[in-house]
Amino acid sequence: MSLRFEILLVFLGMCFVTFGSRLAGLMLRAPLPPFWLRFLRFVPISVFAALIVPAIPGDQGQGIMRVLTSLLAAFVAWRTRVLWLTVLVGFGTFWVLKLLGVHA
Amino acid sequence: MFPIYLGVIPFAVAYAVTARAAGLSVLETCLMSLLVFAGASQFSAAGAFAGGAAGLTIVFTTFLLNVRHLLYGLSLGREIKLSNPQRVVSAYFLTDEAYGIVMASGERSFAFLLGCEMSLFVSWNVFTLVGALAGSIIADPTKLGVDFIFPLSFTALIVPLLKSRTDIIVAGISGILAIVFSKILPGGFSIFATGVIGSLLGAWLTRSEPPAQPNLEDNTREVA
Repeated sequence: MSLRFEILLVFLGMCFVTFGSRLAGLMLRAPLPPFWLRFLRFVPISVFAALIVPAIPGDQGQGIMRVLTSLLAAFVAWRTRVLWLTVLVGFGTFWVLKLLGVHA
Repeated sequence: MFPIYLGVIPFAVAYAVTARAAGLSVLETCLMSLLVFAGASQFSAAGAFAGGAAGLTIVFTTFLLNVRHLLYGLSLGREIKLSNPQRVVSAYFLTDEAYGIVMASGERSFAFLLGCEMSLFVSWNVFTLVGALAGSIIADPTKLGVDFIFPLSFTALIVPLLKSRTDIIVAGISGILAIVFSKILPGGFSIFATGVIGSLLGAWLTRSEPPAQPNLEDNTREVA
């Protein structure tokens, strides 16, 4: 169990910039013009797309399989709107394909 | 929201194993999870410690990776009524996953937000400790393809938000932008840049629509 002072300083710096980013947005309460209200309406859509798309292919050389099973999962999400079922169908199909020896 | 944990837990373990391998003590490994609580930047910091990077470089990279939380805060601050202390507390524990669950659910309360946040915070820290103690005994969980659970979970969260043609256009263009940016920018910062450009595009495409309501229409569904 050791804690080096210089490492603690780096952690505190990381904490400061991370907490700062999280807090700055939440504390800003000035009334916004309509353009920026519409801007915020698109934040989840744009950010989620940015989180999803580059993370789909992965780095194990199974990109095609993962793209196709993601499309299937998106279909399940659209029809059912149930999170666990979407993940189960997507991840399950991916594993079934893997066990069948598909590697694409 | 059970599948979200399946996505988070293996990464807490993988982070801890990486941090230990980089020469951080068990205490330091756990302290970073408690103080920073942001997966991607903790991974990159662990790697940077191993490579002997300067402290300021690590802090600046962390800022680039985490500045996207600014957008989550701006968005949440207008969705949920919060007192100042509530803003500070919910800011400390804010993550991609908690924001995702709250926005996709119809639930708009501090209690629900904090519940999502804390359940993730506790899992992240408990499994950081598990990973730090167990170390390399545990097989690399990313080999099992669990990193696939993250995009799958967010697919379930985004699909119900796509209600108009503009929504779908913004999502499609953001996806393409994110691929391009992720090749040239640090991961978290490419998400921030995409989020800004994608939302600007959405606001511009809807310029002839009447002013937006601050709240999304109530569309409670089973995400939790």
